[in-house]
Amino acid sequence: MRWKPVGDKERVKATLRRAPRVLFEDLTAPADPLPDMGQPGWPVWRPVFGMLLVICATFLTVFYVNEMSPGDGGGIPKYGVLGFAQGAALVAVMFRPVSAWWASTVLMVVTARLSEPDMSRDQLFPWSVPGLALQCGALFLLALRVPPRRAAGALVITLVAGLSCTLFTTTPHNYVIYRSTPVLIAAVVLGASLRGLRVARTQLVVQEELTAGERARRTLLEERNRIARELHDVVAHHMSVISIQAQVAPHLVENPSDELRENLAGIRQNAVEALTELRHVLGVLRSEDALSQGVRHTPQPTLDRLDELVANVRAAGLTVATATTGAPRPLPPGVELSAFRIIQEALSNAMRHAPGAQVRVETAYGTTGLTVRITNTAPDGAPARSQSMGHGLLGMRERAAMLGGELAAGATPDGGYEVTAILPVSAPALAAESAEETP
Amino acid sequence: MTTIRVLIADDQVMVRQGFTVLLNAEPGIEVVGQAVDGLDAVAKVAELAPDVVLMDVRMPVLGGIEATRRITSAPDARVKVLILTTFDLDEYVYEALRAGASGFLLKDASVEELARAVRVVAAGDALLAPNITKRLIVEFSRMTAAPRAPLKDRIGDLTERETEVLSLIAQGLSNAEIAQLLVVAEQTAKTHVSRILAKLGLRDRTQAAVFAYETGLVRPAGY
Repeated sequence: MRWKPVGDKERVKATLRRAPRVLFEDLTAPADPLPDMGQPGWPVWRPVFGMLLVICATFLTVFYVNEMSPGDGGGIPKYGVLGFAQGAALVAVMFRPVSAWWASTVLMVVTARLSEPDMSRDQLFPWSVPGLALQCGALFLLALRVPPRRAAGALVITLVAGLSCTLFTTTPHNYVIYRSTPVLIAAVVLGASLRGLRVARTQLVVQEELTAGERARRTLLEERNRIARELHDVVAHHMSVISIQAQVAPHLVENPSDELRENLAGIRQNAVEALTELRHVLGVLRSEDALSQGVRHTPQPTLDRLDELVANVRAAGLTVATATTGAPRPLPPGVELSAFRIIQEALSNAMRHAPGAQVRVETAYGTTGLTVRITNTAPDGAPARSQSMGHGLLGMRERAAMLGGELAAGATPDGGYEVTAILPVSAPALAAESAEETP
Repeated sequence: MTTIRVLIADDQVMVRQGFTVLLNAEPGIEVVGQAVDGLDAVAKVAELAPDVVLMDVRMPVLGGIEATRRITSAPDARVKVLILTTFDLDEYVYEALRAGASGFLLKDASVEELARAVRVVAAGDALLAPNITKRLIVEFSRMTAAPRAPLKDRIGDLTERETEVLSLIAQGLSNAEIAQLLVVAEQTAKTHVSRILAKLGLRDRTQAAVFAYETGLVRPAGY
């Protein structure tokens, strides 16, 4: 589609039509909220800044009123009220930046108009030194809280207002518009720069929080990935046993019927298909660390291998006591695997964070499930806390949650640490589980 | 026809019993023992001297691959190891072949595949499951970046004909196929293969194929 030449003109017109509204919005829209100056653990700075501002405003007001009043002392009440209002406007900019700045500007014009006839040729006009300081202060505080474009607009308006005061004077004065322009600009630039710094810092904090969140989420996903991989692994081993058994079964009966053969062939077919799919899933889940040495040449562990695990930890120098209550029995492979991994993780945490401590591993077989509790006493030296603590805990929680169980972990009153996991086992699974399964 | 004596090493009793029943039902194959882990397998091989070991990869105490290494590195070891696994992981294959395994089979293979694998490995006159084994050997050669120099030197000991036969072995051809291709008697092809193995100090044609890929004699096609 081609634009007609008139399009440009239309666009300019539209922009011009929009300009007043944009300007109006710029100069009336609310400013940034007051930044939170109280960081955790630090004194809250806002009252201090407020106090300093009040002191400066008071000082400037007194100076300002004194400057404006003619030598004979006449008009003190009038200028006193105007000067006080100007000073109050400066303080108000801290709380309502946009409207207070407008008030300050209007007051400046009104004061200039009212005081103009009383002023001598030598006096600075339209603003005296303290008057300029009050304007600078208002602009600076505004620039701290609004985007630079809006601060620049305010600067222009201040200058135009000042200029307008000089148009209808009864006598010539010592005009300072041009001389004070750089000072006003400096106030706005300083304010805008400080605001830019603050915004950048805030964004950095937000970014850091996002990154931390991202990292936590990734850790969680990795943990879930690992858990899923192990469980699929266990399932795949069971599937391959099914496929073998389905082939073996016809050999176990004399003259198996065709129906039986067909049925068993169907079982085998299904198992092989399921295995193929499982291999695909595992291919997706498998990652570099999954095949770390030592893991890949040993089957997924069950609680049978708890003694082996404890022996390894003892060899690493930890004192470990074990206790089993209830009637030990084979549990579903998922429960055994999870229990083993939780104990393994808790022991490795104890090794890392509580060297020299005494560790106790309790396994309780209940009617509704398995409870494992790993406690360690306070470490010999200072406990070596590290970031990785949360990582292991996350995995343990996920494993317990996956089985519909619960996991609690925390410091004990004596300075040690305790991890308790309750892993439920549904009744049918208990009954169905055969006595010898080591996938 | 002599009976092929087989040892089954797997930590799951259902798997051991299952394979025992299946293989004993096959003519010419006899399961002479079972081992519950890698260490047990090493001991049983020494005790029973089987022709073929069916070896699981993941076993407690001692893994199947390490057990394979110990079994095949024994002096005068004639036993062939057939790795049985739930997963056809390339890494497993790489390590298994390097450890001296003669072949690789998935646990859910049919009884026909299983019996055929045992016979092929025992006879040593063909590569097991050329499709799979070739893919694995490709992986194997890809992972071993630099040809092992002492091995490469030994290729010079081969005659031109033997080098040709070696490259055909690596392509997965059986003795019969090699004989047909070179228009010689099968017995001649077999003699060539035996000479190659003897000259290179290799234990079977799987290892010869690995050697061929590793030394760069054969380049995997299409990779």
